[in-house]
Formats: sequence, C-alpha cells, structure tokens
Amino acid sequence: MKKIEAIIKPFKLDEVKNALTKIGVQGMTVTEIKGFGRQKGHTEVYRGAEYKIDFLPKVKIELITPDEMVPQVIETIERSSKTGKIGDGKIFISPVEEVIRIRTGERGRDAI
Amino acid sequence: MECWVYQVLRKTITPSFRHFILPWILAVYQSDERIELHHLSELGITKDGLKDIKNQLGQAVPIHSSPREFLRQHSDMADGLVRMAFRKAQSQAPSPSVCLMAVGGYGRAELAPHSDIDLLLLHSSSKKEDLPPLVEKILYPLWDLGLDVSCSSRSINECMQMARSDLYIKTSLIDGRYLDGEYEFFRNLYGLFTRKVLHRKTQNFAAALAKELHLRGQKYEDPAYTLEPNIKEGKGGLRDFQIGRWVIRAKYKTDRWDSILFPDHSRMLDKSLEFLWTLRNQLHLLSGRRQDDLTFEMQEKIAPILGLRPGTEGIEEMMRQYHLSTQRISNFAQDILDRVLHEPSPLKKTFHFLQRRRIDDQFGMARGEIHLLDPVAFKKDPPQLMALFEYCQTYKSKMDFRTEEAVMEAFPFIDDIFRNSEKVNQAFLSILRNGKAVDTILRKMHELGFLSRYIPEFLDVEGKVHYDLYHVHPVDIHSLLAVEELVKLKEGLYQRDYPLLTSLIREIEKPENLFLAVLLHDIGKGMDGDHSFAGGEMVKRIGDRMGLSVEDNELIESLVSHHLLMVETALRRDLHDEQVILRFANEVKNLNRLKMLYLLTFADIKAVGPEAWTSWKNTLLTELFLKASHFFEKGAVALPLLKGEKMLRTLERSLSPEIFSAYSEHLPDRYLSCYSSNEIAHHIEMARSIEKELLLVGWKIKKDIQAKVTVCTKDRYGLFSKLTGSMFLNRLNILEAQIHTWGNGIVLDTFWVEDATKNIERRLEQFKKDLEEILGAKVSLRDLLSKRKESNGIKQKVIPRVPGEVKINNHDSDFYTIVEVIGEDRLGILYEVSQALTDHGCDIHFARISTLGNRIVDVFYVQDEWGEKIEEKQKGDRLKQILLNHLVTKISL
Repeated sequence: MKKIEAIIKPFKLDEVKNALTKIGVQGMTVTEIKGFGRQKGHTEVYRGAEYKIDFLPKVKIELITPDEMVPQVIETIERSSKTGKIGDGKIFISPVEEVIRIRTGERGRDAI
Repeated sequence: MECWVYQVLRKTITPSFRHFILPWILAVYQSDERIELHHLSELGITKDGLKDIKNQLGQAVPIHSSPREFLRQHSDMADGLVRMAFRKAQSQAPSPSVCLMAVGGYGRAELAPHSDIDLLLLHSSSKKEDLPPLVEKILYPLWDLGLDVSCSSRSINECMQMARSDLYIKTSLIDGRYLDGEYEFFRNLYGLFTRKVLHRKTQNFAAALAKELHLRGQKYEDPAYTLEPNIKEGKGGLRDFQIGRWVIRAKYKTDRWDSILFPDHSRMLDKSLEFLWTLRNQLHLLSGRRQDDLTFEMQEKIAPILGLRPGTEGIEEMMRQYHLSTQRISNFAQDILDRVLHEPSPLKKTFHFLQRRRIDDQFGMARGEIHLLDPVAFKKDPPQLMALFEYCQTYKSKMDFRTEEAVMEAFPFIDDIFRNSEKVNQAFLSILRNGKAVDTILRKMHELGFLSRYIPEFLDVEGKVHYDLYHVHPVDIHSLLAVEELVKLKEGLYQRDYPLLTSLIREIEKPENLFLAVLLHDIGKGMDGDHSFAGGEMVKRIGDRMGLSVEDNELIESLVSHHLLMVETALRRDLHDEQVILRFANEVKNLNRLKMLYLLTFADIKAVGPEAWTSWKNTLLTELFLKASHFFEKGAVALPLLKGEKMLRTLERSLSPEIFSAYSEHLPDRYLSCYSSNEIAHHIEMARSIEKELLLVGWKIKKDIQAKVTVCTKDRYGLFSKLTGSMFLNRLNILEAQIHTWGNGIVLDTFWVEDATKNIERRLEQFKKDLEEILGAKVSLRDLLSKRKESNGIKQKVIPRVPGEVKINNHDSDFYTIVEVIGEDRLGILYEVSQALTDHGCDIHFARISTLGNRIVDVFYVQDEWGEKIEEKQKGDRLKQILLNHLVTKISL
C-alpha cells in the first residue's frame, strides 16, 4: 500500500476528484493548505497600500491505495491537475505499513 | 405474593392509561410462578417489564400532541413505584419519622422516559443513624428496576443552609413536591424556604442564574452543538426555560409564568416548550437511555415519527421548528433576567426620576432605557414603531420591557399601508445608513417578531436550516450574524486581521444598500430553484415596496442574485487566467459593486460558522478582488468585453450547440474582438481538425504580392519565432500579424505577408512545408537558415533611420509583461525579435504586429516559462538591451 499526497492548484480540485472517482478511488482527504515552492508569493497594491501574499493557497489531496493502482492514480492526478504553468504542484508517494478501519477493526487492503 | 403493584398502580394511574397497563401487570403477576424469582424485583415488576410499560405508555398517550401528558403520567407511575418502595422500606427497617419529597424535574412531575428521579428525605435532626439503612431499602429495589434514582437525606435546617449557599439545591427545592411520610415536615420547610430564601435577594438569584446561563452558553457555543443540539442544556433548551420560570417564581411569587407575559407571547412559548418535550421524549424512547443530544442519527429517525415528510425535507422542517422554539425560549429567559437584573434600587429610582427626560410626545428616556409615554401611540400612528427603533440607535439605548410588549401588541397595525409608508421605510433605511449598532437593532426587531412583520418574506427563512455539516445556523440567524460581521468590520475590530476589507467598508457609497443586501442575501432559501436568483427577484419587490431608487434597487438585486459569484470564481477558477478575471469583472460591472460584493462575500462566509472563513479563502478572494479592481481602475473592462460578449451571442446563434459549448469558454475576448463571426467560425473549424493534425495553414492571395495567412496549431514554447523564422526563410515579409492563444492551448495566428517577387504562392507552399518539418522536429530552423544563407544570400543594406525603442511594461496587466518594440522594418526583423524573446525565456501569448511605412510597431504579451510576469528588473533590463541590439544590428545573410 502506498500513500499518495498531491499538492495542486485549488481550482483543479473538482477535476482531480472527479477523475480519481472515475478510476475507482473510493476516498481521499482534502486539506486547504498554504505554502511556496518555486512560485513565490507576491505583493499586491491597492490605493497605495501593499498587501503581501507570502504563502500561496493550494489544496492537498491524500489517499491510500494498493500498490498496483499507484501508476494509474499518479497518471490521473498528473493529467487532471496540469495547467503547464508554474505552481501546478507536486505528488509525493510513500509506503504505508498498515491501515486499520476503526469501526470494524479490518486491516490491510480491506480497510482502505 | 400479594399483588400490591396492582393496587398501587390502580390508584395512581389515570383511567385512560389504566386499561393499557393493567393487563400487562396482570400478565406479569400471573406468570409469576414460571419466572425465576430473582428476576423479579421486590416491587413485583421486572426491569424489562418496566421498559415495556414505558414503551406502551409512549404509544398510549398521544406523545406528539400532548407530550406533557406523557410526562405527567410517567411521573405518576414513578410516584407509585417510589411510594411503594418507601412504604416497604419503612416496614422493614427501624423507621424514624421522615418525609419523602420529589425534587428537580421529577418534583415538577415532568419525567421524561429516562430522566433522573431525584428524591429528598426530610428528617428531624435527632435520629440520623437510622437513615442510611432506610435510604438503602428505598433505593435498592428501584435501582434493580434500572431507574436512575438518587436520594439525599437532610434536616430542615440543613436544607435551609444549603439552599442559601448552593444554587443547584435552591433551584431543585423550588420544584419540590410532597410524596409520602410526614406532611408537617414538608409544610415547615416550604414555609421557611419561600419566606427566607426564595423571595429574598431576588436580584442576586437572577444574577447567579444569569451567570449559569452564560457559562452554559459558552459550553454549547461550539457549532457542533448547533448542528446536533442538546435539548435540555443547549441554548434555548428546557433548562433555559426553567431559569425564566424560577425567576418569575422568586420575583413575582407566582408559578403562572404565563401570567406576566402578553397572551400571544405565552401561547407561542408554550408551543415551543411542548415541541422540545416531544423531541426529548422521543430521544429517550428511541435511544433507551437519557440522551438529550439531538444527533443527526436521531434527527433522521424522529422526523418521520413526527409525521414530517421523509428525507432531508422533513428533517429540515423539524430543525426549523426546533430553532424557532429555542429562539423563543432563549429570548424569554433573557428578557425575564433583564427585567429583574435591571430593576433599580429605590434610591436609584429617585435619581432616575430626576434624570427622566422627554424625547418627543411619544417617547421618553429613563435610566438609560427608552419607554413609551403615550400608551396608544402605535395605534394612533403606527409608523412610530420604526421611529422607536431609530431612537434606540440614536440614543444607543434599549427599550424597556413594557415598550417591547407594546411593540408586540401593535402587530395588527403592521399592514401593507405600514410596509409601503415612506416615513417607515425612510426611517428603516436611515437606521441602516447610520450603521451604528445595526446588528443590535435588527436583532431586537427579529426577536420581537417585528422584522418578519415588516419584511414578511423574512418569515420563510426563520429557523430554516440546511441538513449538512457546513451551515451551522438557520438562515435568519445566519443573516443577522452576517450583518454583525459588517458592523464589526466598520467599527474597526478587524483592522489588524483584515485591513483591506476594513478600508473598503469605509470607502463604499450608500452603505445602507450593502446592509440591506447582506440582510436579505439568503431570502430566496425558502424557494425552489437557485436561491440566489429567486432571492434577487424577491429583493426587487421588497426594494420597490421600500421605495428605493431604480439604481439602488438594481444594485441590491444584482448583489443578492450574484452573492456566490465571487467565492465561486475565487475558489474554482484559475486566477492566473486573465479571461477569468475579465469575465468576472464584466459581470460585477463597477468598482463600487466589486467592493460591496467582496464585503458581502466576507460577511456571508464568516457568518456560516467559525470554521468557514479561513485565511486560505481570504487569500484567494483578495487576489480576485485586487486583479478585478485593477481592471476597473484602468477602465479596461468595458470595451473588449462588450465586443467579446456580443460576438459570443452572434456565434451562439450561428454554431451548433455542441460546438459552441465546447469552444465558447476558451475564446479570449481579445481574440473575439479582432475577427468577424465568419472568420471565427472558420477558425473553430480548423481547430476541430487540429486534434488529428500537426498544423493547418490556409491563405488568400491579394494583388499577386500580398497574402493573408492563417495558421492553426497547438501551442508550444517558441512557436512564434519558428513561424516568423520560416517566413523569413522564404522571404516573406510580415506586414501585420495577430497572434492569439485560446484557453485550450490552440494557437490561431493571422499574418499579412508580402513578397515583391510575385512568387508568393510558391513561397507560401514552401513555408508550409518548412514549418511542418520544423514543428515535427525533422529539421531545425537553425540548420535551414544556415543552409539557405549560401544559396539565397542577398545583401541587405540597412540604415536605421527609425531609432529603435523598447518598452517593458509591467503595470498595465496583472498577467503579462507587455513588450513594445519600435524600429525600422526589414526582412526578418520579426523573426529576430521573437527569437530573442524566446531565447530570453519569454512565452508569447498575444501579439499585434504592424508596419507603418518603414516603421514596425510590435506589441508582445509575454510570460516567463513558469507563466509569470517578468518582474525582476535585471532580467527586464537585459531583455531590453538585447532587443535594442537587434533593432540596430545590420544583418548580412
């Protein structure tokens, strides 16, 4: 099992979510986050006053998936979240040791 | 065994219920022999049996229409069991003389299916050591039945002492009721208690209860409790009602709480109370325990039991009634507390008497409260009602409770004439315009029921809830909270957190329009279909009635019908796409409206619940606001957009719906304003086949030497310089060009080219072939250029009579760096300039190339390879220098 974390542009959330649902992803965790990478913040000016935007708003999607689904999930996220411009985000993949569904106590793949 | 259960129950239970319960009791009794003895309690009834009785009771008594009848009968039944236990205990243990009392909710004979049974054993202080065994004997059989019984034993003196020091004991004693034993003890205690404790220091008592109310309010403030409220302890719950009732009991020495209220008011309150009891009974019966939390699960189960429609609709209706009920109860408790707490001492009364003053013929002011001087003022002149609220604002005062009652009594005078009265409406708008404490005034109007009389449309959203996790408050409360957020903003409370919004609310013209829009933004929630647009329509009628000017009315309607536009654009659209911002700005129309919409969006989201407004959302909204405001400040919204919009409408008529919907959103306004509808239709035709092909080139030759060339392909980095390079390669001189990139990454370029040798057809063919090979990466442009240098070498003499000029502009667009190049025309100049831009990391999105005599004037809208503007000064300066060099360098191929 792998955990896939994707940082994407906020307006791409619906598209990514729909694309993932279509390939059979059952659930995911979505968080509103802020941060910066190569795309730095900027300063906006309104009537002489400066409003600094240090951290840019992004959305983080997290999901756990069986190993064999990983390539498809990644491909789907890449395709649906890409604008080709700076700030499209990143995908991180990491191994997951165990998953437990609290209600039933199921473990492993059944609990995903 | 003697069936004394039967005997006791026969005496205590009302006839209507008896026929239900008796057969059961008999059944238990008759089956006595077969059931093992230890399953039977000493009271001749089993735990499960009691559960059954309760459930049967729940079915026997019409629990929805008369929930309190159920409570009473249930309490009667408990009385029977408790008395039975008491007498049996007395007969078994050495019994001092005692009195058994019911206290708390059980004392009021309000016993929900799984409520606590609180008992008090009053004794004469002499024989204390005999008490514990007696208490045990009473409690054990009751506990065995699974009843939640507690019993304290105190002497009269102890009771008095504790009632003085402990609020909880004091309030539980208020509702004390005699059950069995020495009646004299009970009478003594009550005589002393009412005289020496209850009717003394009533103001302190009220203050202590107010504190308790406040602390409990804090605990249940969490939005989770608004969604899944606690019927007993939550805001406006049953306990709040008791607080009001106790204070009335202490202060006015009556248990008829309704006697001090206006009849309509007490009737409504009674209904509210009844509704909460219905819910609580159901909660206990369904969960089988003392559960007072109306959880989502329970909401789903109870709504159908109450006969409401299945599904979400029924749940929402139930919760609407719940919210209306708790609002009434909460207001009742608060009002009673206010009355008692703010009653001045006799000394102060004299002082206030001297301070009294008249406001006008109808109203006066005393001890900081506005009161009615002329009792029939509202009858004589109903518009005085609105004047009263205006005075509350002007004098920063509340009205006293008698005046509040007079307002409620005057409701029959609030009719269409009132609602259309100019005097009334002007006073209302003036309250909104003034802005000070608008939230408090509107809340009072709402609390008294005045607001929904004045704006009847508001009635439909009162208590209205959404069955979801996001909307914490019912619509009416949400709307009032939204107004409160605006007031906070205006008063500068958010200066540190939201400086931009704070400055905006001070800038806007006619703030009354904004307040009205915020108050009414969700008014369409009761209607079918899109609530924004339904609300817009309703607001238009309300505005008409209030006599708003046509512009103001149109403004408010548009704010209400578009109140989700800004948040949807900010959260769901690419704010780096100029087109998105332009369309948004076009819909908003002007800067003042943009400011209002931003403020409305803030107030709306902030009032949804504490979790809803995040700095994350704010960042996106700020960005959208600033970008759109720049368009307005530059006046850049109207022209290209108007043309673009018009063109879209034309296209909609001429294209098939599928094609139109597939392409319309991708066409930039700048593009739409440059071409005719036929040309655009032709371009779309090309774009549809580009999915399969690499490149499409078409041309029309004019006067043998000139041609208009249309190129369609998919965008890629450096495309423009490859295009111009291929033209240069074929000696095609570019006179003019329009470079457009559609939102879906399709490029449509038009060139006007010239070839003085009249070989234009052949050259264009070759150009197309070259470009295909270059784009297909079969050859590189560089190789081709160096190859043909030898064969086609023409020396060109260049004398720069037009001085070169390069401007790099980062101010005029939030999205692109605009590079303006002016210089002397020559073959290949455009290729050089565009290649230089590409080499420098610039992506060309839009370009306008023109040749005036021998002067070229080229404008490029560029971004760096990451889609950002080129803002670094060093980078800009270097670019400028390189371009300038190209403008003056002689080229010798």
